[in-house]
Amino acid sequence: MAQRITSPKDLKALQEKAKADIDLRSGQKDVRITVHMGTCGIAAGARDVLGALIDTLGAAGVKNVTITQTGCAGLCDQEPMLTLADKAGGSFRYGKLDKHKVAEIVREHVQRGQPVAEYLIKV
Amino acid sequence: MRELSLHILDLIENSIRAQASIIAVRVAALPEEDLLTIVVEDNGNGLKVPAEQVLNPFYTTKNGKRTGLGLSLFKAAAEQAGGRLTLGKSALGTARHAGLKVTVEMVLRHVDRNPLGDLAGTLASVVCTNPDVDFRFDLQLDSRACAIRARDLAAQLGVDPQDGLALARGVRARVAGELGSSGVFI
Repeated sequence: MAQRITSPKDLKALQEKAKADIDLRSGQKDVRITVHMGTCGIAAGARDVLGALIDTLGAAGVKNVTITQTGCAGLCDQEPMLTLADKAGGSFRYGKLDKHKVAEIVREHVQRGQPVAEYLIKV
Repeated sequence: MRELSLHILDLIENSIRAQASIIAVRVAALPEEDLLTIVVEDNGNGLKVPAEQVLNPFYTTKNGKRTGLGLSLFKAAAEQAGGRLTLGKSALGTARHAGLKVTVEMVLRHVDRNPLGDLAGTLASVVCTNPDVDFRFDLQLDSRACAIRARDLAAQLGVDPQDGLALARGVRARVAGELGSSGVFI
């Protein structure tokens, strides 16, 4: 479904997403991870998920990842969530995360290219 | 939300959504005055409606949502600790972008004051995902103080100013190093 643009803010968000997509396609970065940081996400532990990402990506020496943030995706019961977009155009939404699951996603999906099916949100 | 740091994170997220390019965060714990002050000030779009409306949990600017809990939750946390939350004019504002200043005051030793929590992790997380924003952190806890400008940090660390991960690690190390207790506070 096409996203409706109703304000300059929406346009800017779209511009940022497009820029990140171009970075992905142009080979500057291989993966984009978006952490959902609405009030619901923050209350459920989004900050600690982001902290775990910073730690695990640093410890693994991974450089090909862009980390961005967005607000509530309307799936508040699945928070904390992240969306992983890869070079091939795939988009994977993970939910109900904690730092151990984040470490596993970095190890399996970011480094080995294998999505962790168990933590994907099923809709 | 249990930690005041999470409320601070929520306010910073509001500033980012309001397209702020400068976000100043000030936290001051003053034991002699028994006062904890938290200020988040930006040069974003500011308010389009009166302050009372913004503090209503059923008011939001987001499309497709019917609740806006962030500010009302922080206000409740302040009031339960003998304090208040006020919205005011930002010194960073301009004619086009009024900006917003949110000031929260609490009784520092109030039995119902929530802990500050992981301040280092909170500030690191916003720097990580927003390397374009000019963050200015001014933290004073008891006799220890820490002032960080994200813009200067990249040069100090010798990293790419767009490398959010490196900046985040730098912020966390500075806050924990200069304020102690691993950046997590009561």
